[in-house]
This record gives sequence, structure tokens and C-alpha cells, in this order.
Amino acid sequence: MSRIHTAFEENLSKGDGSFIAYVCAGDPDVQFTVEQAVKLSEAGADVLELGLPFSDPVADGPVIQSAMNRALSGGFSTEDVFRVLRSVRGRGVDRPIVIMTYYNPVLQYGPEKFCKAAAEAGADGLLVVDLPPEESAELDSLASSFGLDVIRLVAPSTSSQRLDEVLPRASGFVYAVSVAGITGARLELATSAGELVRRTTARTRLPVALGFGISTPEHVRLALSMGAAGVVEGSGLIATYSAALQERERALDNVERHARAMKHATLGGIVSEAPAQR
Amino acid sequence: MSALTELQKHYEQLKQDEQFRTELDGLLKTYAGRPTPLYFCRRLTERLGGPRIYLKREDLAHTGSHKINNALGQALMAKRMGKRRVIAETGAGQHGVATATACALLGLECEVFMGEVDVQRQRLNCFRMDLLGAKVNVVKTGSKTLKDAINEAMREYAATSDDTHYLIGSVVGPHPYPTIVRDLQSVIGKEAREQFLSVEGRLPDALIACVGGGSNSIGLFHPFVNDSSVAMYGVEAGGEGIETGLHSASVCAGTQGVLHGFKSLVLQNGDGQISETHSVAAGLDYPAVGPEHAFLGASGRVKYVYAKDSEALAAFHLLSETEGIIPALESAHAVAYAAKLCKDSPRDGAMIVNLSGRGDKDVNQVADMEGKL
Repeated sequence: MSRIHTAFEENLSKGDGSFIAYVCAGDPDVQFTVEQAVKLSEAGADVLELGLPFSDPVADGPVIQSAMNRALSGGFSTEDVFRVLRSVRGRGVDRPIVIMTYYNPVLQYGPEKFCKAAAEAGADGLLVVDLPPEESAELDSLASSFGLDVIRLVAPSTSSQRLDEVLPRASGFVYAVSVAGITGARLELATSAGELVRRTTARTRLPVALGFGISTPEHVRLALSMGAAGVVEGSGLIATYSAALQERERALDNVERHARAMKHATLGGIVSEAPAQR
Repeated sequence: MSALTELQKHYEQLKQDEQFRTELDGLLKTYAGRPTPLYFCRRLTERLGGPRIYLKREDLAHTGSHKINNALGQALMAKRMGKRRVIAETGAGQHGVATATACALLGLECEVFMGEVDVQRQRLNCFRMDLLGAKVNVVKTGSKTLKDAINEAMREYAATSDDTHYLIGSVVGPHPYPTIVRDLQSVIGKEAREQFLSVEGRLPDALIACVGGGSNSIGLFHPFVNDSSVAMYGVEAGGEGIETGLHSASVCAGTQGVLHGFKSLVLQNGDGQISETHSVAAGLDYPAVGPEHAFLGASGRVKYVYAKDSEALAAFHLLSETEGIIPALESAHAVAYAAKLCKDSPRDGAMIVNLSGRGDKDVNQVADMEGKL
């Protein structure tokens, strides 16, 4: 069992859900990203997703688009994401970390070189949002040869037949997208989410985390009650600091306070272990 | 992914569907005005003193460009797939207008994404879309041009594909889009081939078409690909010059990459971040090219060249003055390269230039650039 999978299982055994926090690397610079990752880890985030920005993030909503823009206009490079990772590990953060990005930066860096650099810098997994399973055989085998989990996305529009094709090629955890569309905080958690979590957990032994639109402790509790083993938050976290970037301490405090509340909402959230999950 | 799989399935079925074919052919003929003429440019040929120049007059198709061929085909597909709504991106606005037109004709709801920069330089087309009952969404992210309009349309499609068809305007995007758009635009080359044969009794020596995403060019080229005696030239937007970095010449200056769900030649930096592009012609202002063009370029079957903004503007005037035809700035790139090619070609040759669109939409912009407004 990988470190990512283990982190989920340890929480599940205590009746707790897992909180996965997305960090847009380089927003607005390397130093802030490192401090943010450390704070998130201290606040109890169970897994960190480190987003390598892309100029044309078609799966992302306005908040993450702006964050990526800030990072790229600050000159953030692919090499910098590995620098961030090494610094975060150097600061003693031992939570599992997933690198999340789009395929073109990986392709230009060289898929093998990318996996190797990610693994050496301390990453545990890789999530390439715009690379469908049909096209990812090469990257999958490279990732696994460097000990990286391959995180897969499933959505309400994913048919059960396709789940059966995709899930055997997933590792670490399965990222269930709550609603068809793009990332971004939403007021309500879509009802389509529960049905997707149910269909997915029935088909895999991996933990299933719900993302897209998660931004409040109420969302966390609702997601766990739907049968998710964890939640992913991105845009909501970024929104806590993006308006306060002139005062970094305050920005970091905002992130930490919000993350604590989100993690707190996962505690005891797993009411009973769904038999399908075991 | 599921939306694309569904689209692929429907397309394979509709391709074989006689009734669909008949309906589309009927619309192309009675509504869009096909076949468009193949016109011999006597005065332009004399002026340039080279091979005979023929224009494939896509500017005379309904809505003023070749975009209607694809818009009608895909809108009809959307209808057959049971979609009630269509979304599209547009650069110069020609595809947006064609889509809005097809949707008005077929009773489909229509929303078009257009970059803020393009809205400013193509105001007339925005007003046309409005008249046709379409909603124009102004895209203010990134470079605020065609690339960003596609980003927004893709985001919208991901959220609404249940009842919405994304009507892509060029031979780009994830499979099966580049194939669908090529097939629907191939009517240009099929007609041109027949028309040229009947006038000249032989095949042309060269075909010339402008390339942004590459739909009008692939439409002209595709039916000639196996005619090895026919040379083909794809003319990209050289902007201020390749060396300045202000251009949109993806085949001439790009490297392999993945954007908008397809792998092709892309203008990007070493980290794979997509470059901002430039062209006087909004419809060519895109940092990648359809994957089939990358293939035809690599195989050597098509030669990709470029014309700069200044050359396109000169050709815009040249064709207007010699033939009384105001070309779209996009198509003016093809005319510009044809003029260049004429200098080194034997006088007894003949070529077809694809006049993909008319220039009415560009008159304001050109007058403004030349200080006449």
C-alpha cells in the first residue's frame, strides 16, 4: 500500500475522513508556496496537492486560473516545482504530496525526466488532468517505475463501464469530481456527487476523495456522509489568501485557520465503514 | 471524455446516413450558395506576370466565408444528437457568425465565446451574432484572443455537454473534431478539383491557402493530397516577422506540444507554457495548428510558409484594386504568398488560391490602421 493510500486508511480506521489541500505552486512566488505547504501540514492536511501551473488550464475555474497567472507572470518554471518540493521536505513535512498539472509541461520537460525529478524531490503521486487513460500508458509505467501513484479523475458523466476500465489503472486514491465542469467553490454540493461516490467505491479498493466545489466544513461533512473517504479543496483555500497577499503573515494565517476548520470537519465523519470500501 | 466518445459514435453513424447527407447537401446548395465559383483573375494574373491565378470564392458563400460549411454540418449533427444548445469559439467572428446563422436556421440556442481583443477589432461581427439571436460571451482571460475563447468554450462544454454541442470552428481540439471539420470542409477541394478540371482540362500546379487552425486550407488540400503533381502551400501569419516573436506561425516556428486536447506543433516556451501570438488577422491568431497540418508538413506533402502583416495588407489592397474583390485579412495572407510565388513560376502554370472569406469585416480595422478613420 502506497503512502497516499496508507494515509487515508489510517484516518478511516479512526473513523476520520482525509483532507487534501491543493496548493498552486509559485502563487505568488516560491517562498510563499513553501510556507503555505508547511502551514497546511501543521493544520492537519493529510495529503498535499502541489499544482504546477499551466498557461491554459481548461479544467480550472477563475480562482485557480488567476493563481496560475500570478505564478507564471512571476517567472515560475517547471524546475521550480521540484525546488518547492525539496524545500517543503527539507522543512520536515512528511505528508504525502501529489504533483498535479497538465500534460504539456510534462511533455516538454520529458516524461521520464519529470517522473524521476518528482520522485527524487519527494513526490508520492502524479495527477495529469488533461491526459485521458487512453493516452497515458507511457506516463503510467514511468510513474510506477519511480514509485509514484497515478491519481485518476472520475466524473458524474463517467459511465460505470468506463469506471471499470479506468479504476484498475488508478493508484493512491481516486479523485471524484463532484460536478461536470471546472474547479471552483460552489454554494451547494451537487447531488450528482453522491451517486458517483457510491458507484466508484463499489468498484475499487482505493479511497475515493471528492473534489470540485468543496469550500466549507459543511461540504466536508456532507461529502463524507455520501461515502467519500476524503475531500479535496483548491479554489476555496486560494480565496482565503489571494486578497491578503500584501500582508503575507495574515495571508498564511487565513490559510491555516481555514484548513484547521476543514480538517476538523473530517474528524469522526466516517460514520460506518461502507462494506463496499473494504 | 464521455461526450467525445458519444460524438465519435454519432459521427460514424451520420457519415453513413443517406438522409443526413441529402439534407446537408441541400442546405449547402440552396441556403449556403454552393458550389462557390472558381474564378480566373485576369487582371491580377497580368499584373503579376506569372501563372494563371484562380480564386476559389468561399467569400461568396453565405455569411461570407468557408466557415458556414462546417457550421451547417455540425449544427445538423447537434440536432440529430438531440442537443438543444450549441456553443462555439470565434476569433475573427466569422465562425461565430456562421454558427449563429446555422443555429437560427435550425432553431438551436447559441452562445459564442470571443476574446475581448477580437471583440474590439471585429465589432461588426459581434453585432451580426446579436442580430442572429446568439449570445456573445466576452472572454477576458489570458491573451483575450482565439486561444482563450477555446479555453472558455471547453470549460463550458465540460459542464454542459448533456444538452449542448460544442461546435469547434477549425481542425483543432480533441479527436474526433479535427476529422469532422476536415470532412465537412473538404467540399471546397472537391468542388475546386472538378471545376479546375473542367476549365483547364488538367490539375492545377499549386494550391495556396492561409493557415491559422487550418480549416479552409485542409478543406482545399485534402481532395488533392494524392495528386502528387499538385504543390500545396499553407500560408501562416508571420505577423511582425518570425524573428520578432510577434507572429502565429505554428508550423514554421513551433515545436511539438499538447494544447486543447490534441498533439501538434505549438508555439510555446521551454517549459511548455503557451506563447501569446500576434497577427493582423484575428482568425489566424492562434498558437497551434491542426494535427493533420503538422503531419502534412513533416511528410513534406505541404510546404508551410508565412506572410507578414505588411504583406497581407499589401495583398488586401492589390486584390481589391485589380479584381474588385476585398479579401478577408486572413485570406489576404494566401494572396500575398501567391504574388510572391508568381515571380519564380513559369507563365504557363496555373494555381488555385483559396479566398476563404470576404473582407467587409476588416474594412474598419484597415482604415483605422492606415489612419483613414
